[in-house]
Amino acid sequence: MLVLKIGLRLQVPGSNLLALSLWLAACSLLFNCTTQDHKQATKFEQYYVQGQVLYLTHCSNCHQKQGAGLGLLYPPLNKSDFMDTRFEEVICLIKNGRQGELFVNGKQYNKPMKGVPSLTELEIAEISTYIYNTWDHHRGIVEVKVVASALATCPD
Amino acid sequence: MKYFLVMAFGLSLFGCTIKEKPLPIFGERNVVGTDTVYHSIAHFEFVDQDSSVVTNETFKDKIYIADFFFTSCRTICPIMKTQMKRVYDTIQNKQDVLLLSHSIDPEYDTVALLHDFAERLGVESKKWHFVTGEKDSIYKIAQTSYFATAMEDKTEPDGFIHSGAFLLIDKYGRIRGKYDGTKEEDVNRLIGDIERLRSN
Repeated sequence: MLVLKIGLRLQVPGSNLLALSLWLAACSLLFNCTTQDHKQATKFEQYYVQGQVLYLTHCSNCHQKQGAGLGLLYPPLNKSDFMDTRFEEVICLIKNGRQGELFVNGKQYNKPMKGVPSLTELEIAEISTYIYNTWDHHRGIVEVKVVASALATCPD
Repeated sequence: MKYFLVMAFGLSLFGCTIKEKPLPIFGERNVVGTDTVYHSIAHFEFVDQDSSVVTNETFKDKIYIADFFFTSCRTICPIMKTQMKRVYDTIQNKQDVLLLSHSIDPEYDTVALLHDFAERLGVESKKWHFVTGEKDSIYKIAQTSYFATAMEDKTEPDGFIHSGAFLLIDKYGRIRGKYDGTKEEDVNRLIGDIERLRSN
């Protein structure tokens, strides 16, 4: 089990995965995890890994693999007060895109972003789990039902 | 000591041979009398992000790197612009090197839009020209002068197909290198070739 976790760490480097592995290791060694916890951890890993694949397909051209964005054209995701405070809007713009000005970390961005309407709720949950648990973010899994209720709040 | 001198001499010769190997010259060549005439970039006239007219004269006695993109593209262009920004950072203080990005969606990419784009990218307009102009002229120069694909195609996700190539042009308007602007290693090769071209 420990070997498997180390392998995973090597495949996808990132401090969050390190933290996750450590957490999982601590969890299984010290607290003797229940099957339920294991299931949840596996689900998180599945969402995270799949989310990374989707991120690299749909998002990283502009927002960059390391989430740094580009100048004032594409806002960063690796450290973003917009992501921290406006979760529902982030879910909506992944699907529907967004026009007009937007402030991230005090800087103004104003390029239209096209959404990806073909994404399913599960896929949005996976992308969100990835971006919200990488770089500076430690939100935990983003469940499909959370995505569904956020999407219900999107402006037309 | 003698051996050392011999070795140093040998190394310096070796160094020279590497340095002197010139970059290839792309395209057809014709022999006119005793001269060889190489393919060179045809006459062009476009307008950049500052509304300045940009022609071959702008690049007189300059090395430049050309590419084709459009601002609303979300497939390969953002990657190309990320890579070209890397090139920009390396040539920023080199007086004899410029960049030229042509919009292949000139109806949408107006001067004002290109100005905003360049400013947001954080680059100087005298160093990196973003140009717009007659659509046909841009497509024609792409195809016939730079050997790069650029055309409208409604079946494509963003409505255009174009190559992600970066073209290295020498002081005589000749193509000296072609690189994949979406690949970091290829752009590293370009950065090295700019120096090779400057030094010979």
